[in-house]
Amino acid sequence: MAAVSAPSRHVLTLLALLPLALLHLWLAADLDPFELWAMLGAAEQSFERLQLQLSALPRLSMALLVGAALGLSGSLLQQITQNRLVSPMTIGASSGAWLGLVLATLLVPAFAASHGQWAALGGALLAVGLVLLIAGRSGIGGLPLVLGGMAMNLLLGALAAGLVLINNQYTQGLFVWGAGDLAQIDWHWVQWLWPKLLLAVPLLILAPRPLSLLQLGGDAAQARGLALWPVMLVLFLAALWLCAVSITAVGLIGFIGLLTPNLAKMLGARTARDELSYSALLGALLLLATDALALLANQLSGQLVPSGAAAALIGAPVLLWLARRHLAAEDPHGLRLPAGAERFGWRGALWLGLLAGLALVLALGLARGVEGWRLQWPSALVWSLRWPRVLTAASAGAGLAIAGLLLQRLLRNPLASPDILGLSAGATLAVMLALTWFGGALLGAVAPLAAFIGCLSVLALLMLLGRRHQYSPALMALLGISLGALLNAALQFVLAKGSSDSFALLGWLAGSTYRATPAQALWLTLGVLLFGALALLFQRALTLIGIGDGVAASRGLDVPRLRLALLVLVALLCALVTSLLGPVAFLGLLAPHIAVMLGARRVAPQLLLAAALGALLMLLADWAGRTLIFPLQIPVGIVASVLCGGYFVFLLIRGRLA
Amino acid sequence: MRQWLLGALLLWLAPVWADTAPRVAALSWEATEHLLMLEVTPLTVADAGDYRTWVVRPTLPAGVPSAGSRLEPNLELLAELQPELIVIPPLLEDIRPLLERIAPVQVYQGFSQQHDNLQAQREAFLDLARALGRVALAEQRLQAMEAELARWRERLQAHYGGHLPAVTVIRLSSPTAAFINGPNSMPQHALDLLGLQPAMELAPSPWGITQVPITALGRIDRGVVLHIEPFAQEAQLFASPLWQAMPFVREQRFAGMPSTWTYGGVFSLQYLAEAMAQALLKLPSESGKAPRQPLE
Repeated sequence: MAAVSAPSRHVLTLLALLPLALLHLWLAADLDPFELWAMLGAAEQSFERLQLQLSALPRLSMALLVGAALGLSGSLLQQITQNRLVSPMTIGASSGAWLGLVLATLLVPAFAASHGQWAALGGALLAVGLVLLIAGRSGIGGLPLVLGGMAMNLLLGALAAGLVLINNQYTQGLFVWGAGDLAQIDWHWVQWLWPKLLLAVPLLILAPRPLSLLQLGGDAAQARGLALWPVMLVLFLAALWLCAVSITAVGLIGFIGLLTPNLAKMLGARTARDELSYSALLGALLLLATDALALLANQLSGQLVPSGAAAALIGAPVLLWLARRHLAAEDPHGLRLPAGAERFGWRGALWLGLLAGLALVLALGLARGVEGWRLQWPSALVWSLRWPRVLTAASAGAGLAIAGLLLQRLLRNPLASPDILGLSAGATLAVMLALTWFGGALLGAVAPLAAFIGCLSVLALLMLLGRRHQYSPALMALLGISLGALLNAALQFVLAKGSSDSFALLGWLAGSTYRATPAQALWLTLGVLLFGALALLFQRALTLIGIGDGVAASRGLDVPRLRLALLVLVALLCALVTSLLGPVAFLGLLAPHIAVMLGARRVAPQLLLAAALGALLMLLADWAGRTLIFPLQIPVGIVASVLCGGYFVFLLIRGRLA
Repeated sequence: MRQWLLGALLLWLAPVWADTAPRVAALSWEATEHLLMLEVTPLTVADAGDYRTWVVRPTLPAGVPSAGSRLEPNLELLAELQPELIVIPPLLEDIRPLLERIAPVQVYQGFSQQHDNLQAQREAFLDLARALGRVALAEQRLQAMEAELARWRERLQAHYGGHLPAVTVIRLSSPTAAFINGPNSMPQHALDLLGLQPAMELAPSPWGITQVPITALGRIDRGVVLHIEPFAQEAQLFASPLWQAMPFVREQRFAGMPSTWTYGGVFSLQYLAEAMAQALLKLPSESGKAPRQPLE
């Protein structure tokens, strides 16, 4: 394919588009080509004819428009950042839009019903702005941008899930949009969208020159007289605009923007102009094909299958396949620890001890009841209900903190955390499958086992894919992204079905200590202690790998094998915690960070301090979740994710602005 | 064995409860509805606020506190309130051991495609009545409901002159998608009891609802379509030419019915039947019966 010249490649793709469009119409209007032909000639106004005119044709146009817009937007973003992993989905635009719409629906329902698009647009712009701020100038071209985007996705996702969970009856109507559906009932949205996409025309004409200069590198481009930053900013905004209006019109459709430019490049698009225009064409083709599949599934199953779900089902594996072929193995720089105190002294230990005591008193003694706040030692019955939750929360926090620390040292990336590996997403997907097979009644019994199997399957996949690339950070992140997006689409699909089972699932997803039994709490604690002790045994290896593989190898370490062993340890820790609690984001990222900022800069002290901090944070989060909106409870996972995530974003932005 | 002991305990307790007000915690809305119909004010109800907004009838007295969410009821609050019986949905079966430390537990059959949802709700109601020693009252309530249903059936017969239309009940979820209440849904059971046929054949599902693209509604070529109000984007959808061209809209076989909870207990049937019958009585008596005009 790479040998085909640009014009004939475009023509071939256009030719493929034609039969696909016919197939799409056939499926959407439920008419075979002959009936279609007869229908076009008929003068009579039947329902079938109107369905063709007002539903099938607008849907076809929508698929083409949105596909082209997402393809173009993705290509533009990737060329600006020189980063093959960037797309609207991976830098947080989609989750920002989703949260914006959820918020608008809850706060100003009338406005959301008529002008929801502006809420979505605002959310998307805000989220991407924050991610850019986090990644900073130097991070745009590499993994930091993508990891920042993932962090933003997790944070906003947790917020939105919490809101939906607490207001479950009010948010039903959102789910179809959230799952991304191209269905149309008239030309309204097409007419709304196309003028807003006209921006693509000047883009295709004007953008290639600065983009080709950028390919030479920032300095070279500036030397040739390009005002680098203003041009990049304008192009970035244009790309976001294209994606945001598309999201607004049809809901969340991931992967197209990420896959298309990569495919275009694989199929031989080399120059900036060629990549832009071919991405637009290919995007239209891809989305059309995906939507045809969604329509087919729709007809076979007799119920609504949203286009976004189909896109994710195809996109995730293709992305992994692409990643296998195209990844550079090594991320060159060593781990840079965040700045902070030089050493952790007795004064710090004293404070920590005090804080831990206070947290324990809060968690065990201070609660709300019928008559309001009460500080007292619990009765035997209440104690038997309370201690498993408290112990589970604390152990889970410690476990996640240890897992996060191991990952950050192993991948030499201060932004790494268990969620990045995709382990949590894998566990959650497994639980979702279990739910569809066994129904909501058995969820509590089946979920832990399913989660465990899910975690281990992701680990196996990681090993299979990663061996060739020495378990490179980029590959890990990519797996996390693919699984995360797949999970998100599946989740939206299940939620869109609108039964009460969906909310049972959402409850589990939120990460709750509610269902922890005494035995489970004890096993979790034992497991975390054991794995923590194991991790401490590896401290020399962790220090050396943190500096660089070369350094570690020169000191006689078998780096690949050690890394594999430590990754297995991380996966086991995650599986243990996730299977009991559901996913908890950010804690594993933040606890090691704070430990360093408090002065624990070597592996062993950092590990111990991070574990203590993780436990402490989870204790507080669990207590807040139990008491804040009494008698309702906010799952600890959401409280912890939002608290830690918010603090994390604050830290990053402060660091950037300082 | 434990189940048997519990049953014995309940039977033994029953006569005592018949006189004093029993302290029952209801962790599902169906149970709440059934308790209220047995003239028992629950000690506490899961998601009590949402019950008052969404289920509405039978009315839950304002003083009854919420027990937390239906997914994760607040155990410590339950412990503090010291109920004598806790009624739970199957969703909470896994925390039953915890609840049993607080009070005896009775599990309610929920919605499932394995059984007849109506029959399950009816049995759950009678079980509860037996546990509370109020079987006579329960029988009386069920008879009253059947009499009420019979009255609506007669009024419909009179209005439609003996030829009742087929009916499909939908709930719109977005301008492009709708839920259809299919076999084993409570609206479908209510239709059966009113002597009405479904206007669209669907495969059974656990909750009795299936989500379909809005265009699929165009295939409903006979009978009446009722939609459960409210729907926020009603104006936008109803004005669209495609909606106007739907056979049931063009032939005026379409009406809205007031907001009614569709996953309720046995008495939700009565409210559903009432809402449906009222909507159907407003339609002209020939609607739904005229053969569809050929389109091609």
